Amino acid sequence: MKYALFPGCVLEGAAAEAYTSLKKVCEKLNIEIEEIPNWTCCGASHAQGVNDLAALVINARNISIAEHMGLDIMTVCNTCTLQLRTAKMRLDKDAKLKEKVNSILKESGHPYEYKGTSKVTHFLWILDEHPELLAGKVVKPLSGVKIAAYYGCHILRPQEVMDHGDGKHPEYLERLIRALGAEPVWFDASRKCCGFHAQLAAEHDVLTVTGQIVDSADRAGAMAIATPCPLCQMQLDMYEPEGRHAVHSQAQVPILHLQQLVGLALGLTKEEVGFNRHVSAQEKLKIG
Amino acid sequence: MDVKLRIHRFVEGRKWVQNYTVTLKVGMTVLEALIEIKEKQDPTLSFTCSCRSSICGACSVRVNGNAELACEMLVENLVKRYDTNELTIEPLGNFKVIRDLIVDWDPKYARIKKIKPVVQPKDEFSKDKGCKQSPEDFNKYKKYAGCILCGSCVSECNKNTLNQEDFLDPFVFVKAEKLVADSRDKSPEEHLKAVVKAGLWRCFNCQECTAKCPKGLDPAGAIEKLKEATFKKGLDDNVGARHAKAIYDDISESGTLDESKLNIKSEGFLMAGLRAPMALRLMRVGKMNPLDTHKVNPEIDTIRKIVKNAEAAAKEAE
Amino acid sequence: MSTEISRRTFIKGAAAAGVVLAAGTYFAWDGKNIPEKVKTGDVTYDVLVIGSGGAGMRAALAAAERKDLKVAVMTKLVPTRSASTMAQGGMNGVTGVSDPTDTVESHVFDTIKGGDYLCDQDAVEYFAERAGANIYELDYMGYPFNRQKDGAFHQRKMGGHSHPRASYFEDRAGHAMVHTLFEQCLENNIDFISECQMLEISMDGDKLNGVIAMDMRSGNLLGVPAKSVIIATGGYGRVYWVRTSNPYSSTGDGIVAGMNVGIPFKDPEMVQFHPTGLSANGVLLSESSRAEGALLINKNGERFMEKYAPEKKELATRDIVARAIATEIEEGRGVGEGIHAGVYMDFTKIPAERIHERLGQVYDLSRRFAGVDITKEPVPIAPTCHYSMGGLEMADFHTGESRVKGVYVAGECSCVSVHGANRLGANSLSEVLVFGHTAGDGAAEFAKANSYVGSQDSLAKDCAKWKENFEKATSRGREGNKSVPEIRDAMINTMWYKVGVFRDEAQLLQASAELDALDKEYAHCYVGDTSHVYNTAFEQYVELGNLLQISHAIVQGALARKESRGGHSRRDFPKRDDANFLKHTLIFKDKETGKYRSEYKDVVITKYQPKERKY
Repeated sequence: MKYALFPGCVLEGAAAEAYTSLKKVCEKLNIEIEEIPNWTCCGASHAQGVNDLAALVINARNISIAEHMGLDIMTVCNTCTLQLRTAKMRLDKDAKLKEKVNSILKESGHPYEYKGTSKVTHFLWILDEHPELLAGKVVKPLSGVKIAAYYGCHILRPQEVMDHGDGKHPEYLERLIRALGAEPVWFDASRKCCGFHAQLAAEHDVLTVTGQIVDSADRAGAMAIATPCPLCQMQLDMYEPEGRHAVHSQAQVPILHLQQLVGLALGLTKEEVGFNRHVSAQEKLKIG
Repeated sequence: MDVKLRIHRFVEGRKWVQNYTVTLKVGMTVLEALIEIKEKQDPTLSFTCSCRSSICGACSVRVNGNAELACEMLVENLVKRYDTNELTIEPLGNFKVIRDLIVDWDPKYARIKKIKPVVQPKDEFSKDKGCKQSPEDFNKYKKYAGCILCGSCVSECNKNTLNQEDFLDPFVFVKAEKLVADSRDKSPEEHLKAVVKAGLWRCFNCQECTAKCPKGLDPAGAIEKLKEATFKKGLDDNVGARHAKAIYDDISESGTLDESKLNIKSEGFLMAGLRAPMALRLMRVGKMNPLDTHKVNPEIDTIRKIVKNAEAAAKEAE
Repeated sequence: MSTEISRRTFIKGAAAAGVVLAAGTYFAWDGKNIPEKVKTGDVTYDVLVIGSGGAGMRAALAAAERKDLKVAVMTKLVPTRSASTMAQGGMNGVTGVSDPTDTVESHVFDTIKGGDYLCDQDAVEYFAERAGANIYELDYMGYPFNRQKDGAFHQRKMGGHSHPRASYFEDRAGHAMVHTLFEQCLENNIDFISECQMLEISMDGDKLNGVIAMDMRSGNLLGVPAKSVIIATGGYGRVYWVRTSNPYSSTGDGIVAGMNVGIPFKDPEMVQFHPTGLSANGVLLSESSRAEGALLINKNGERFMEKYAPEKKELATRDIVARAIATEIEEGRGVGEGIHAGVYMDFTKIPAERIHERLGQVYDLSRRFAGVDITKEPVPIAPTCHYSMGGLEMADFHTGESRVKGVYVAGECSCVSVHGANRLGANSLSEVLVFGHTAGDGAAEFAKANSYVGSQDSLAKDCAKWKENFEKATSRGREGNKSVPEIRDAMINTMWYKVGVFRDEAQLLQASAELDALDKEYAHCYVGDTSHVYNTAFEQYVELGNLLQISHAIVQGALARKESRGGHSRRDFPKRDDANFLKHTLIFKDKETGKYRSEYKDVVITKYQPKERKY
């Protein structure tokens, strides 16, 4: 099994631990990943609000490189997945638009045209579609560990684009947590948005919801929150202190990238999955 | 098969959950189930409905946390989706509740009024001879004319749940985009200024509105289109717009986001400086290193050309 | 069965069901649905419009062009929930944009012929002359018209019309109209008195006091003083309950209020039945089904239209097909039982791709409500009541005024007579525009020229009467009393089987007797909800009372009209009888006895002498 990896900007920077843990986990699961050479930012769900067409062509370029590699694309960020899949859906549905986009790629000197031959999927979806990948690999089942499953918005919605499972009633993250031997816990704020994309424009609200999510997971008895999105992870982890302040809570909960949680169950240590790079609740994680 | 409906009741200040059982029939919608309960079991259960064919917008409720038009949602499909024969029905979120499943629409009108909710026809048009518009221009906004004001989009809107005072309902943004994209209107700026003032950039981009709209109107997409229009009209002097523009510009500058500069570009040196404690915290765990130089994509020239050419093509299509 | 529970168990219970709780959305009513001045009695409206569909909001906008006038729209729901939203096809008006050969005369003739010559021809001329201008004006208001290449709105041809003259928005012409008008009303700061059930037009002798309504949210009874009132409350299709395509709110409230102050109910027997409503719930499956080649099949698998219309078969006019289906069912060749009996509409000869491409909505509705995949099996359908041609008599179509000074009428609740005995497609939205506009102007001019003549005391007295009525009705117990839905079900059985697609004297007399019996049960029926806050059970009780009175009038009109014309089909008098019935029925309700009596008024003929109606 081999994928063209679209890491996304934060895995190169603030969430580098998500990249290192992903590489280690994929190796253990025999998933070969090859980074898409010279990929660019997906637009981070903001570029289309500045210029929709430019954001679309940029992602057509990203996908076309993977097509040239002959591989489907694996992403590890909800927002990247949504941006790439939205671009793909629009181009595959609208021949005229595809033609226009390809002519822009060509006149700009990009060597490949967008064809529509590579699928775009998320690391979590791959694990859900291929439970056999984990078979016999969970050497350190996380028994007795309560994990709050936090999907994040862009892996669930809109259903039309993100059609893995039912976005109004997703169960696959919980399913994976169980497969790792842990126990998924239900918490009130599990379907709330972390607010990452509005952190600057609506700061007070975003910190409030950050606090609510962490507090709610804590009240539900979760030892950690696990999320398939590095942006949600950054929001909840980096702003946990401000979040606590906003909702007058004492809760401290570790926020795990999904691949870190998988890695721990596969026998990697906390250090190997890069947990020492987390801002919040380092000492609270009792696994690995 | 029997289905248990746990209905959130609210009558004259008293709030409780009441269980009812209905027998599932072919084609039974949530609305039909509610009507059957009212007529056969409990006349006090209150809700509103009118057309029962998904065009009047009167009957939206939340089922298991998700807004649905009661008249078009089959109980059978919900039972399948949630894999249960127990469903919880609540009034829409982000509305005041008047009684049971009936919510208060009045504050919403004032919010619609904020955007100047009518076309201001160009001077060449008249009452006597109407307006002119090409089929292509009609296509630019026709989707947004399909809003039925059912309120589903705002029910789970994360921003509205936190604070409604500095943000509008997604359906109001849909109305605004309908007007801004309508070629008959002589001053789209007026609607745009109003939406910027009323919180355009505070959208969380959580896509709940788009997921809930029973008419497939994509309110989140409408919000993005409004943002794009504010750039075209030079109404981009605010934190949210600067942040989006900074991200956009990073693509042309290096290909990827330069996290260390993003806040400075969005908020200016002074505000970003106030974030020093956060920066120190990130440096401590190695998440941020001021000495790092941001890598530039080797194909940056092509990437710049792509952005330039796309911008030119977009302008031409206007 | 019901328990009051603590917040803790509440959350636990909800969490188990997988529910995300919204915190703190429960607030008490704050009464903003009504302008403060209405509550304190500090306003006398110049023009008070009842009903927020196309006619009501168009009227309000017209009146409000006079900036010094106080104009309000009262509605029992939220303003955009009206029957107008359901209109699909379009609005007719001769503009010539899509067909330069179209003429006003042609629109006039098509309408008169379609109406089986029961139209007042001078009114139709007035209507057709203004319909085009009203479309242009709606365009200027921002209606999202589908466009043609030259930039004008596009017009399409509807059944019974000889030229394309219907402007539209997709297949949601009415929806777009309601929202365009609503946005204009908001922008023009027209007062909305929303979620108030109008109960009565209050009069002091022959002087108009205003209107009595129940504010649904508080249960308070409001007396709203007004110099003029425009009734625009829509039709009465709900007398057939599930056998109608109309919304739940089409209960004829305004017509009954009008009858109670002496306005005659004109041509009540003229009800249009659409042949293809879903058997399950009366929801319309579009006319285009048959146009695309769907066949009508009875229980024995016979394509029965060959018998009734050998040439046109399924493509015969609405009334002919509706009668054929009703005959098949009556003679035992239908499928299904009781009120849900029907015949099959079979799409299986049409390629599935074409169904998906052109009949998407029909596919969805059949799938959803009947559980039938029409690409694989036939769907049961039956006639469904679609439109009320009858309504409150508009005494002067130049102003919209009724016989009662200060009371104006517009839209489906009125009878101008433009539609006569049968309405043509896309003429209802144009009627709403033209006569909404006219009535708005008429009422406004009346208000400018006259001072308030009503009596606040008399208004207060009527409020008190309804307060008592509310207390009495809602406090009755279940024991020995029939419930509102039970009486309603009995009423629709009477109306559907005895006053439906076919009528005859014996059945109509029986229907009349049954309705009398239901009146008696209604007088002590069980409502079942005593709360003052948003008591929809009481609202439905009031609506049922209105439906019963409408039913009486329909029966009365149908009994007297011993002929068949348009939507009215007498088995015992199968022919149109111009010698005796080229006239309108006027049903009056006697204020003292509550009895109904009929009068007649000649149809106005200008140019077009009645001819046999052939298509």
